[in-house]
Amino acid sequence: MDVQEIIRGVQPLVGEVRPIRTVQETQPVEEYGYAYVAEVNVKSAAKVVKVLDASIPRDPARTTSHLRRFAKQSNLPEHLHPLLLGDKHSPQSIFVLIPPPLPEVDLLQELLAPFAVTPATTSTTQTQTPSESQSESQTAPRVTLHTIKVPTLPPLSASQADTWTKTLWPVVYNPAAARATVAPPVQVLARTREFIQPDAGRYLAFARKVAHEALHSGRGRGVGAVVVDPEIVDRILDAGGDMEERWADAIVAVAGDARYSRREAGKPSVAETHLGPGPNPAVDGYDADVEGGPDLHALMRAAEIIAYKRRVGDLDAESDRPDLSPLEEYFIAQLDSTAPEPKQDTDTDTPTPVPEKYQKTGLHESQAVPITSSTSTSAPQESSSTPGAGLRIRPRTQGGYLCTDLDVYLTHEPCVCCCMALLLSRFRSVTYPQTGRMVSGGLASEPVIQPVPVSEPDYEDGKANEANSRQPRQYYGLHWRKELNWRALGFEFVQDGQNQDEDIAEDGVAFYA
Amino acid sequence: MGQATAEQAYFMEQAFEMARKALDTGETPVGCVLVYENQIVGYGMNDTNRSMNGTRHAEFLAIQEMLRSYPKSALRSTDLYVTVEPCVMCASALRQYQIRSVYFGCGNERFGGTGSILTLHSDPSIDPPYPVYGGLQRQEAIMLLRRFYIQENDKAPKPRPKKHRELNTKFDDPIDSVDRATH
Repeated sequence: MDVQEIIRGVQPLVGEVRPIRTVQETQPVEEYGYAYVAEVNVKSAAKVVKVLDASIPRDPARTTSHLRRFAKQSNLPEHLHPLLLGDKHSPQSIFVLIPPPLPEVDLLQELLAPFAVTPATTSTTQTQTPSESQSESQTAPRVTLHTIKVPTLPPLSASQADTWTKTLWPVVYNPAAARATVAPPVQVLARTREFIQPDAGRYLAFARKVAHEALHSGRGRGVGAVVVDPEIVDRILDAGGDMEERWADAIVAVAGDARYSRREAGKPSVAETHLGPGPNPAVDGYDADVEGGPDLHALMRAAEIIAYKRRVGDLDAESDRPDLSPLEEYFIAQLDSTAPEPKQDTDTDTPTPVPEKYQKTGLHESQAVPITSSTSTSAPQESSSTPGAGLRIRPRTQGGYLCTDLDVYLTHEPCVCCCMALLLSRFRSVTYPQTGRMVSGGLASEPVIQPVPVSEPDYEDGKANEANSRQPRQYYGLHWRKELNWRALGFEFVQDGQNQDEDIAEDGVAFYA
Repeated sequence: MGQATAEQAYFMEQAFEMARKALDTGETPVGCVLVYENQIVGYGMNDTNRSMNGTRHAEFLAIQEMLRSYPKSALRSTDLYVTVEPCVMCASALRQYQIRSVYFGCGNERFGGTGSILTLHSDPSIDPPYPVYGGLQRQEAIMLLRRFYIQENDKAPKPRPKKHRELNTKFDDPIDSVDRATH
C-alpha cells in the first residue's frame, strides 16, 4: 500500500468548525438543595465566617458563591419572614446561610453558639422546622437552625437572580462565573477552534480514507479516527512550514473500526467467515451478536494504539500489541520530523504536566498514572538509542502520558462509551462532520435544526426542541459536562453547501460508532 | 439493595479479591467478575496504569477474558459483580454487550453511569436496558478506594503531598459514597 499516495489523494472537506454547545447551555436546569439559616449577632459576622470556613469542609465541585452568606432582615424574601422573624426580632441580628452539603447539626450548634443573639433580645422559642428536632435550650444560648430551599447552581441571567432573591434567598448574578459553570472558557474555546479550523477538512477527509480501509477490509464498519498532535503542528508552523504540504506529518496515529475482527469462543471472527472482497454484509443492519464491542471502535482503538506506543521499551508491551491494519501500522512507525535535536536528556525526566485548565474540578490525578516512575526508570542516556526516541508518539519514559492534549478527528459522532473513553484518555478535542451524527452518539447536545429560534432559555422544562422528523435520540453533550471530572472541547464540522436534510448518518442504520 | 443472597455475597467477594489485587499493584482498587450459569467466566481489575491506557477498566478486561471462551451472545445471560458502580464508559459498554444485570458495591459520584451521573442502564438506546443493584458491601468498596487515594502518587506528573492525611474509617453519612473513583 502506498500511503503517500493516499495522503496526496486527499480532497479536503470544505466547511466550518463549530463548537458543540454544552448540555448546560442547551438544556438548562434548575437544581435546588437545602441550606440552614441561623440568626447571629450582627457584630460577629466576620468571626462567624471564619469559624464556619475553618470547620466545615467545602465540596470543591459545588459552587456556592452565588448565595449571599448573610441577609439582613430587610433583605429576606417575604415568605421567610414568618419562619425567621417570628413576632419579634432583634435589630442586633443578621441571618447567616450554611449552604449544602449540610454539616452535622451538633457541630453547627457548637460553632455558632458563641454568636447567638442574647435571649433577652431574640425569640429563641420560636417553632422549629419539622426536620430539626432539637431539645429545649436550658442554659447556654443556642442558635436555631432553620432549613430553607436554595438554588444550588448560579443564576444564568439577572432576571433569574432577581426571582430567586425574592422567592428563595438573596443571590448574586455574575455573568462570567455563570458561564464558567456551563461551558468551557471562552478564550480557550476560541483559540482551539482557530487552531483546528485550517486543517480540519484535511484530517476529516483522511479519517474517511481510514474508514474506507476498515470497511473494505471487512474488519469493521466504515468508521475512522485520525489523531493529531498540536505540538507538532505548532513546530511545523514555527519553522515556517506549510501545513498544506505537511499536514500528515502531525498525525500520530490513525485507527479504523474493527468490530468484526475478534475471534470469540475460539471460533473464526465475523471478518474471517466473510470470504471475498468488499464490505462485510453485517454492515447493512444491526445485529448485536456480531457487533463486537466498543473496545473495537475506532476511537477506543486509537487510544489503545497510542498506549501501546507509549510503552515502547516495556518488557510486556509486545504482548499487548494491537492487531493493526496497514494504514495504522504506517503511522505508528513514523518519526517526528519536527522533533527538536536530542539534547543530552536533561528534560527527559520531566513529564509534561496536564494543563491546569483541563483539570477543572481539580481533585485528583485519579485513575490513570504512568506506572513507570520517571525518577526511577533513569531513561537510557543516549537519546538516539532510547526505545521510541524520535517517534511521533512520545514514550512514557519521555513524559508521554495517555492521549493528553491530542486532537482526534472522526468520521462519525462517537458512541457514549467512546465519548467517555475520550475523556478518560485526556484528549484535548474531538471533531466530526455534522453529517456523521449518530442516533447512538454521545456528543451532540441539540438537534441540527432548531425549529423555533430560542432567545431566552426555557427554564420551565429545559428540554431541547424536538420537532423534526428524525429518529428520537438522547443529547448527552459528553465532551463537556460539569459533573464529570474530565472535559474536552467538542466541534462539529459543517460542510459548505450542506443540505440539512441529506445524508446524515443519523438517518441510516442505527449502530454505535 | 436489600440482603444479598449467599451466592451474590460470594461473587461480590471474588470481585473484591480482584480489587485488592489491583490495590497491591498500584492500580485503582476496582475489581469485577462475570457470572454465567453460576460460574465465574471472566475476572477484571483496573489496569490503566500498567497499560498506559485510561480505558482499561475492570469490566473490559473481564469481558475480553470471557469472550475467549464464549460468544458475545452469552453476555445476555451473564451478570456482572463489580465493587464500584460502572463509570459512564463501562455503563454504555455493558449496554452494548447486553449484560443481563449488574451488582455493585459503592456508588461513583464523579463518573457513575448507572445512576450517579447518568442512567445509561435505562436510558432510551438501541440495545435493551439492564437492571442494576447497588450497595453490596459498600463500605468495604469505599475503604479500598480511600486506601488508594491516601497514597502519595509519585507517578503522577505533579504528585500532591499527602503526608498528613489519615485513613478515614468513619461512615457517618448514610448516603456517603465515593466521589473520586472511576472504573
